[in-house]
Amino acid sequence: MPQRAGGPSPAGAFFDTGFTTIDSLLAVSLLYGLQGKSDCKVAAIAMSRPNLDVAGFVDMVQRTYHGPAGNFAQLPPIGVPEKGEPGTTSPAFVKPFEEKQADGTPVYKNTVRSLVDTADPGTLFRNYLEAFHDGDAFFVLAGPATNLAALLDMPGVKKLIAAKVQRLVIAGGAFPSGAPDPNFRADVPAVRKVLAEWPTPIVAAGQEVGAALPFPGASIDKEFEEAMPGNPVARAYRAYQAMPYDAPSYALSAALYAARPKAGYFKLSDPGKISVDDSGRAVFTASAEGQHNYLIADASQKDAITQAFVELASAKPEVRRFRGPQQLQQRPQQPQQQQTRQRLQVQPQAAPNEPAVAAPEAAAPNQ
Amino acid sequence: MIKGKAPAMVQRSALKRRTFLRGIGTAAIGLPFLDAMSPAFAASTAPAAPVRMAFFYVPNGMIMDAWDLNYEGKFQELPRTLKAMEPFKDDMIQIGNLTHNTGRALLDGAGDHGRCSGSYLTGVQVKKSLVDIKSSVSFDQIVAGEIGGKTRFPSLELGMEDARQAGDCDSGYSCAYTNNLAWKSDTQPLPPTLNPRALFERLFGTGQPMTPEQRERQAMTRRSILDFVMDDTHKLESNLGPTDRRKLDEYLSSIREVETQIQAAEKDTRQVDPGMDKPYGIPADFGDHFKLMSDMIAIAFQSDLTRVVTFLMTREGSLRPYHELGIPDGHHPLTHHRNQPELMEKVRRINEYHVQQFAGFVKKMKESKEGDRSLLDNSMIVYGAGLSDGNAHLHEDLPTLMVGRGGNYFKPGRRILARRETPMCNLFLTMMDRMGVNVDHFGDSTGRLNCLDLG
Repeated sequence: MPQRAGGPSPAGAFFDTGFTTIDSLLAVSLLYGLQGKSDCKVAAIAMSRPNLDVAGFVDMVQRTYHGPAGNFAQLPPIGVPEKGEPGTTSPAFVKPFEEKQADGTPVYKNTVRSLVDTADPGTLFRNYLEAFHDGDAFFVLAGPATNLAALLDMPGVKKLIAAKVQRLVIAGGAFPSGAPDPNFRADVPAVRKVLAEWPTPIVAAGQEVGAALPFPGASIDKEFEEAMPGNPVARAYRAYQAMPYDAPSYALSAALYAARPKAGYFKLSDPGKISVDDSGRAVFTASAEGQHNYLIADASQKDAITQAFVELASAKPEVRRFRGPQQLQQRPQQPQQQQTRQRLQVQPQAAPNEPAVAAPEAAAPNQ
Repeated sequence: MIKGKAPAMVQRSALKRRTFLRGIGTAAIGLPFLDAMSPAFAASTAPAAPVRMAFFYVPNGMIMDAWDLNYEGKFQELPRTLKAMEPFKDDMIQIGNLTHNTGRALLDGAGDHGRCSGSYLTGVQVKKSLVDIKSSVSFDQIVAGEIGGKTRFPSLELGMEDARQAGDCDSGYSCAYTNNLAWKSDTQPLPPTLNPRALFERLFGTGQPMTPEQRERQAMTRRSILDFVMDDTHKLESNLGPTDRRKLDEYLSSIREVETQIQAAEKDTRQVDPGMDKPYGIPADFGDHFKLMSDMIAIAFQSDLTRVVTFLMTREGSLRPYHELGIPDGHHPLTHHRNQPELMEKVRRINEYHVQQFAGFVKKMKESKEGDRSLLDNSMIVYGAGLSDGNAHLHEDLPTLMVGRGGNYFKPGRRILARRETPMCNLFLTMMDRMGVNVDHFGDSTGRLNCLDLG
């Protein structure tokens, strides 16, 4: 179970997905639920297709969970690529915006008007990754690997990832063998590049894991409604397809493992190397030196995992004042600096909570 | 004598661009761009006027609701802080969303003011230290290193407030970070010149600083520096056409005007309470000081003494009160207004005041003609800050105003928005391109600023 207080700070969560399935959106809720438990802090979310309708919805969800910007707390933009196919837009990302309050005003506000309200995914990830201590971040990929491949091409970023990122968890493939993965097939060169060049361990959560652990749709009307009436993620779930239905948990499983790798929810394969053929089919080759593993669903953990999905994804947002790249955590200073440390002169009544603000509650991810 | 090509119009040969009026003693005055510098009857082969680049830096962020526009594209009504720029709105671009990630804490804790000015032109996160100073070569100095040999001064570094290079200016950040914009190397900042007299003598002297006795002797005789180059001036004038003669007269008059202001300021200094810590020759009034310094920037550009200028109008964390506006509070404390309306209003007024001063400089640049264009047309003047919201210490959506066309490079008259998190260094790369300095990467750049839609 997660430890609290006294340990290292929560690991930064970087999430990249196409938002083509509802479980990707549930994974956002889950990550914020984990943040509420101090198991991670959601650093940046990017999508792998230039669909501004979806970006606007995810941005609104993020604002709902994150709380308003200001007072040293940044609200990161959504990463959206400039190029590519926008793809189809599920009603899940449109219908909630159509809802009106009694006075006729929209229930949810979309503030993404154009690409300028979003960020380049690579720049976003790099900027926010620099704010974390070494070994204090993880990535979850639940979509085509286009953004991460571009990230690897940015100057100095491989070194940055090697230093900061514990692991990349990819929701994709089928293990030990199975059908081609649509996300892999969407950009085979990109996923090959990521598998070959990502400088830290990679764990795959295959389709069989997501299929074995369906997210219980009944929780939308119960736990979600009890925790936060009007949760936009619940509204999206209802609009995604006719209720009731249980959703596969591809991205959810990957996110849960990434944040709680030692919780025992999943078994891990032996090490090896994942490769992808031209059809997008993942092939795993066992190798003692391999940097890749895949998750194995453990039937004995199904109830615990399902409970974690529901509890975390439905949790009421706890606004945490993480500053992103602006966070206050500080490297140890030289003794001389500490002795001579001064502050800018600030009138007491106007002083910001600049150095006086306590760092976010220290907590350790369970790993 | 006139050093350079003899101004013999009958030969139809061009006057050299780097011609100086020289005189006895310490005087040497560069010339503005004159028609005579282009070969006669050869307009098509006339050398293009050089492109100049300057940064005017204001500290402590801004009240963004009075800076930002709520639209993109062609300027309509300007926001309150920019009202003074109304006559020049066809000459400027407001660029939104540029970010300096390296100004953010990134694990280094408090000290946003020290970091944001240290990173502003260097694009790196400076080392948090009082003694072990480490930054990087600023991009203006990369440009100066490449093209500086074409002018008398590779670059000029000016300021108006504080040139201390040691001590703690922000939460463990050395004053070297808050009091300099330009960095020659990782460890060598280029301290700004604050004193108008020192700048004047640097620009128009021969490089030998006058002793106080010499200065006093000159003052006693009430002689202008123009007196010393009178012979050269007459020789040159006799070979110029009427347009050039008028241009030269305006130019020399502007130098005389600066000289007169400095003399007045020095008299003013003698009237100041000697208990005040005020350097010799620096006007007490912010506007007077700014006008002197910025007039000399315009002259230095006009006469091609330099093509690269950085101007730290005041420093990050500045406690300067603005008695000129009836504001006795320090600037930095006011910017931590905690959304109190009366404090925010004072900051808005300071922001406006800074822009009003800057508009005076822009006016001078626009009125100075270079061939068919203005000096402003041939320049890239960036007015900007290293923080947006000074209360929250935000390093994104940095206030950035690009004035001038960079020699028909930019299409001004509009507001453009970059994508969020776009590195400010992308703008620097684009500006370096225009200055003829091509590099692939600078600071945390991710490419050129592609939203500029270059001309």
